[in-house]
Amino acid sequence: MNPLFSIDLHHFLFVSTILVGAGIATVLTKRNAIGILIGVELVLNAAGVNFVAFNRYAWGGGPPSPLMAIGEPGQPVTPLIDGQMFAIFIIVLAAAEAAVALAIFLNFYNNFSSIDVEKADELRG
Amino acid sequence: MTESSQNLIAVLATTALLLPLISSAVVILATRRLLFKATGVFTTAVMGLSFVCSLVILFMWTKGSEPIVHNLKWIPIPGTEAGWLHLGVMIDGLTVAMLVMVTGVSTLVHLYSIGYMEGDKRYNWFFAYLSLFAFSMLGIVVANSLIMLFIFWELVGLTSYLLIGFWFEKRGPQLACTKAFVMNRIGDTGFLIGFGILFYKLGGNVLLPAAEGGMFDAIKQLIEADGYSITRPPMWLTAAGIGLFFGAIGKSAQFPLHTWLPDAMEGPTPVSSIVHSATMVAAGVYLTGRIYPILTPAAHLFIATIGLITLVMAACMAMVMTDIKRVLAYSTLSQLGYMILGMGVGSYAFALFHLISHAFFKCCLFQCAGSVIHAANHEQDMRQYGGLGRKLPMTMACYAVCMVTISGVGLMSFSFFSGFYSKDGIIAGAVAYGDALRGWGPLFYWGPLIIAYVTPFYMARSFALTFLGKPRNQRLYDGAHEAPYTMVVSQMILAAMAILAVPWIMPFWFNLIDSSRQAMVAGGVSWVLPVDHHGLAHGFHIVHNGLLYGLAGVVMIVVGGFMYKDGFRYSSRIVALPIVKPLYTWALNKFYFDELYDHVTVGLGRLVAAIMNAIDEWLVDGLVVNGAAWATKWWSFGVGRFDNDVVDGIANGAADMAQAGGNVLRATQVGRIRAYVLLLFVSAALATLLTVTVVLVVG
Repeated sequence: MNPLFSIDLHHFLFVSTILVGAGIATVLTKRNAIGILIGVELVLNAAGVNFVAFNRYAWGGGPPSPLMAIGEPGQPVTPLIDGQMFAIFIIVLAAAEAAVALAIFLNFYNNFSSIDVEKADELRG
Repeated sequence: MTESSQNLIAVLATTALLLPLISSAVVILATRRLLFKATGVFTTAVMGLSFVCSLVILFMWTKGSEPIVHNLKWIPIPGTEAGWLHLGVMIDGLTVAMLVMVTGVSTLVHLYSIGYMEGDKRYNWFFAYLSLFAFSMLGIVVANSLIMLFIFWELVGLTSYLLIGFWFEKRGPQLACTKAFVMNRIGDTGFLIGFGILFYKLGGNVLLPAAEGGMFDAIKQLIEADGYSITRPPMWLTAAGIGLFFGAIGKSAQFPLHTWLPDAMEGPTPVSSIVHSATMVAAGVYLTGRIYPILTPAAHLFIATIGLITLVMAACMAMVMTDIKRVLAYSTLSQLGYMILGMGVGSYAFALFHLISHAFFKCCLFQCAGSVIHAANHEQDMRQYGGLGRKLPMTMACYAVCMVTISGVGLMSFSFFSGFYSKDGIIAGAVAYGDALRGWGPLFYWGPLIIAYVTPFYMARSFALTFLGKPRNQRLYDGAHEAPYTMVVSQMILAAMAILAVPWIMPFWFNLIDSSRQAMVAGGVSWVLPVDHHGLAHGFHIVHNGLLYGLAGVVMIVVGGFMYKDGFRYSSRIVALPIVKPLYTWALNKFYFDELYDHVTVGLGRLVAAIMNAIDEWLVDGLVVNGAAWATKWWSFGVGRFDNDVVDGIANGAADMAQAGGNVLRATQVGRIRAYVLLLFVSAALATLLTVTVVLVVG
């Protein structure tokens, strides 16, 4: 395989780094609460990319195979998809988080007639 | 005697003992309103039943039979041979005689009280107390061990206290009952000391000597194991005997503790007649008789001396008293002195026989005095009497009979009156004892011999002042009347008994007592005088000479009677003589014993109190209490300072520090979410950088 075109682990990490950077930048710069939520989603998905990539390359960098498993010879094998499972959990978590966050924003709006997070500084010390 | 009849006697004795207790309880519990008027009759009937029980015992008793002992296990004493303290009854000849006498006299006094106490607002209580007293006295009589005797001894003291203070609304009885109680406690301390010695030495179970396995045999074994003998006893036995005798000194009102008895005359007259003449005060003599086998020669000398002092002293006081009951009280003291002297000199049987005869005639004398007081509207001063014989002929007759009995009138060593025999026996024993003693021994028979002349004199004095001559208080004389028949009947029976108790009419009295004496002699008691002892016969000879073969009583009664027939006409002249006057004043003030005790004992008490007060004020209050308070005050001051400055300071400091820290930290709380997120990511980045650097540098 041509190493110039082969997709390696660091490519995935690159993408996730960009995603994290974008997410953080969004969170830091947006004043709109929904925008911040989108930023958080980006950060979460960066983590999801990392999980899947590490799961893939932790086992030798080859293509994912259901045969890659740990088990006694002759026993039915279990595919090692922990990272993927985490990614699914993160998606579920993101969905739940979005629901909760949107509920919070609704309340926020009821109180401040806006979803500008700058307005929520009542806990200032 | 068969075993079944022995058991029957024990049951009868227990019944006679418990009947008065039951009637007393019934009266207290049931008759407050229900049978108020009938309590007198009821208790008299129950007491009579008790008397019948005693009579049955008397008839079942055959002379010289073995003592009947029934022991009940009461309190376990581990580690001793007997293992138990015993309650129970012990019946020998003396017990039977005492049982019949106490129940008989008690019944008559109950009967007498029906009339005397009529109209009293605590009529039922009086009979309850009286029955309780009879119960306690019978308990002393039938007791089998010293501990049981002591229990009833204290009960008797309690009932005596209650009865003296029966009219407690008045100041006199209040003081008198307290005095009697306190004086008796002093004597009882001695009793407890003596009992304690025996309890320690005998390992707990101190059965009376006459009982089977009694303390005399136990002591004999004990001291013979130590190399002593009955005639050469160890010191502790003397101490125990004298200690126990101190109980008798208190109860029988002997010399150092005699002052309570005349004051006890504040109680109702029936009480004086039974408690303070016939039975309770004789309990001391009875106790001395019961512990007789363990009394050592030294203890005998002590007892005889106490008896001698009491009988001489009390007779002197009886000569000058003007209160009729006080004359009789001092006469009782004097006669008790005779009994105690008899015990001391070894004239055991006669001393106890004198107890019996004295119980009859002195109880009768007190009842006669009570009738006179009843007739005279509670006036007790003989200076207000005179000529009452015409108004109270029956009472006068009874008084005369008993006066003759107490005087020991007889003719050629033969008499119709019991007092003659008993008193002569005591003096005869004193002669034998005094002869053997040498030195100041003759005092022991000159004393009673001379007082045998004084006794008829003061009795005749009281008789003449009360019944003969002209009335000295016309109003009192006009109001006088013969007592109700219950009182007169009781008096007459007692006067008859004073005559009938002579050995040749009713021999059982003396024989019963003498059987106890014979049992003691058979048991190895060596210092008891046998009746037919040569020395005693010699003593009788001297006594009969000294007392003009019984005529002394007649002579002195006539002298006294004539002297006081017309009031104080002659006596006031004699008293005015310069030689007699100080003696008279001395005797009239009871030899200043009350003042002596007041100053010495009460003064000593006050001194001790003052010292204690000083200790209390200076040492306890000053040093301990105030010192502790001072120390506590300064300690708490210090603690307060510590609390305020140190503990509070720490707490405040912590709070201040937290506040300051909070103030610093609050600056970071800007309240803008994006600032927090920035901080979060920057610190996460820095932490990652640091970790990576450290891993790279270290790794």
